[in-house]
Amino acid sequence: MSEKKRRSRSGGRRKKRAAREQGTRKYRPYIERNIPYFEILNEEGLALIEKNADILLEEIGVEFRDFPKALDLFKNAGADIDGECVHFPPGFCREIIQSNAPSEYTQHARNPANNVIIGGRRTVLVPAYGSPFVRDLDKGRRYATIEDFRNFVKLAYMSPNLHHSGGTICEPVDVPVNKRHFDMIYSHIKYSDKPFMGSVTHPKRAEDTVSMAKLVFGETFLEENTVLTSLINANSPLTFDDTMLGAATVYAENNQATMISPFILAGAMSPVTIAGTVTQILAEALAGMAYIQLVKSGAPVIFGTFASAVSMQSGAPTFGTPEPGHVMTIVGALARRLGVPFRSGGGLCASKIPDAQAAYESANTLQASALAGVNFMLHTAGWLEGGLSMGYEKFIMDADQAGMLAVMLEGVDLSENAQAMDAFREIGPGGHFLGASHTQANFESAFYRSELADNNSFEQWEEEGSFDCAMRANLKWKEMLKEYEAPKLDPAIDEALLEFIAKRKSEFEDRDY
Amino acid sequence: MSDWNEENEEDIILADLSDEELVEQMADDLYDGLKEEIEEGTNILLSRDWSPEKVLNEALVAGMTIVGIDFRDGILFVPEVLMAANAMKGGMAILKPLLAETGAKPVGTMVIGTVKGDIHDIGKNLVGMMLEGAGFEVFDIGINSSVEDFFAAMEKHKPDVLGMSALLTTTMPYMKVVIDEMVKRGIRDDYIVLVGGAPLNEEFGAYVGADRYCRDSAEAAAVAVAMVTERRQSSA
Repeated sequence: MSEKKRRSRSGGRRKKRAAREQGTRKYRPYIERNIPYFEILNEEGLALIEKNADILLEEIGVEFRDFPKALDLFKNAGADIDGECVHFPPGFCREIIQSNAPSEYTQHARNPANNVIIGGRRTVLVPAYGSPFVRDLDKGRRYATIEDFRNFVKLAYMSPNLHHSGGTICEPVDVPVNKRHFDMIYSHIKYSDKPFMGSVTHPKRAEDTVSMAKLVFGETFLEENTVLTSLINANSPLTFDDTMLGAATVYAENNQATMISPFILAGAMSPVTIAGTVTQILAEALAGMAYIQLVKSGAPVIFGTFASAVSMQSGAPTFGTPEPGHVMTIVGALARRLGVPFRSGGGLCASKIPDAQAAYESANTLQASALAGVNFMLHTAGWLEGGLSMGYEKFIMDADQAGMLAVMLEGVDLSENAQAMDAFREIGPGGHFLGASHTQANFESAFYRSELADNNSFEQWEEEGSFDCAMRANLKWKEMLKEYEAPKLDPAIDEALLEFIAKRKSEFEDRDY
Repeated sequence: MSDWNEENEEDIILADLSDEELVEQMADDLYDGLKEEIEEGTNILLSRDWSPEKVLNEALVAGMTIVGIDFRDGILFVPEVLMAANAMKGGMAILKPLLAETGAKPVGTMVIGTVKGDIHDIGKNLVGMMLEGAGFEVFDIGINSSVEDFFAAMEKHKPDVLGMSALLTTTMPYMKVVIDEMVKRGIRDDYIVLVGGAPLNEEFGAYVGADRYCRDSAEAAAVAVAMVTERRQSSA
């Protein structure tokens, strides 16, 4: 041992309490993966799926409904058009994507410290998306409002384990359908400074999103940079509709990212087998991503996948089961072979409440997503009831799991300090390491420390009210909302946004479609 | 944080502080596990004609009470409490001979060991450390301790408290063997008996005839201090 260094004062209790409140882990804007990908098919298996997808694309084709622009672009590029159905020569889509689409891209946040890189060995964790209902322990299940929406934006902003503000984090049904996108986008900008997703429910709403982004980032910034990543679902099987294509076109033309996501309830919207389902997913995603590249070469695209197995007994979607996990793992490998970022996974479950079913189903999908190499993990936090409900407590529980995924993916430190040989030399056989110098120097960041799990003795847990996980999460989200402070926003930008929204809202009647 | 330390905290001259300020600073220094500063502070208070007993209770024990509370509440971590207890021991080493001279008792004394058949000692060590932190003199007889080992230590040290630890469900019944023997020899009530370990609970503590089951090291320290104080008051 070297000469003992005199410890320095660190301010006693007052300073320690403040420091511990802030947590010990430094915020990182995304996860850098340092462990291998989990893959379950060999080269032969993956090549078989790719070949079958090419057969699907050529023989069966993909319909682009009510959207002549897509048919024109594909025709000019050399595909066969039969009515609204496009038949692609083998390798056609792959070639277009590989020669044009970036393998990764930066999505800028209004706070540059929160910029995310999507693709490669990175993982970006994103809140759940699209629930009409919200749920908490106090008020139960109810339709979401814009206030709920704001609350979840705030919680995602405050969570050190989530890297993105998400999109339609829940559906604010108290605002008219044709105007709620203004309030949602404004909330993401105003109450968070993490990156966010754009509106996709109408091409005009996508245009409004782009206009608002320009007010925040500057008119010319968007020409060269991506500030929006938006969700474009295929209408499986083998169909795209004009709403999604219209929004996707607006974003692509403006150099903004889209994730082309076959949304599959396997057994209903795809065949009942894993091999059949991944073949269809690959075919649909190839067609959608090729379209984007034909609209604008180099516009960022993500290969998206959402797969659930439908219960053949009842017809209900199920989550956290093994087969969709396999689907995700295989599609991850296919996306890497194609050379584009991959979106899938999240804390998916079918449970209605944050109970044991919710916890294990979500853990199954979160861990599988991380191992599969998901780059953009939509639905990481809050998901309940197959996506019908956004849970306040569930959000907190999932965000805690998200923190563990980051540590898992970061892999193993093999530095001299991590090898800990000094600790062995200091303690020797039969002692304990709690007082070792090595422990003193490293304990604070040594192990993932959950803010939610209770590891205390039975007696202490009982004295503190015998709270289960959901009850502790309930206290946590309320405390977070109470302590929330909005990130600074340039008042001139804020004013410009509010002016734009007021003007646009006055230009047309409220409508619920 | 480090900037803050260097600019504002490093230059404190303990001897320049008033009694009140010094006691406050010593609480912070205990909290930060600063052994040399605690030794210095202890000597300064003694040089200002504080009695050893007063230094012990008002400067050291009061400071460690805060450490115990924040450990229980998850603010301080185990390695930090170890450092705090180590700093406390530094002060105690100075006070101990002086306390003996004046005939004043330490906060309490304890014999502690892991029972026969059981070689697990991390939990027992943590309890010993917390007790020392609370101003106790702790005689740790180690692991795999038989009835004879416990009796020999009690005979030698005449402690206020006997502490027994076990991690295994197969070894925890040995606590009853020790206590039954104490009853048989008519010395059970001469000692406060505390038991602990992961597989125990309150009911088991009562079953073996202990005074209390303590769920963790922080509680063991709090219980030991309270029970010794109470016993001394009632016998005074």
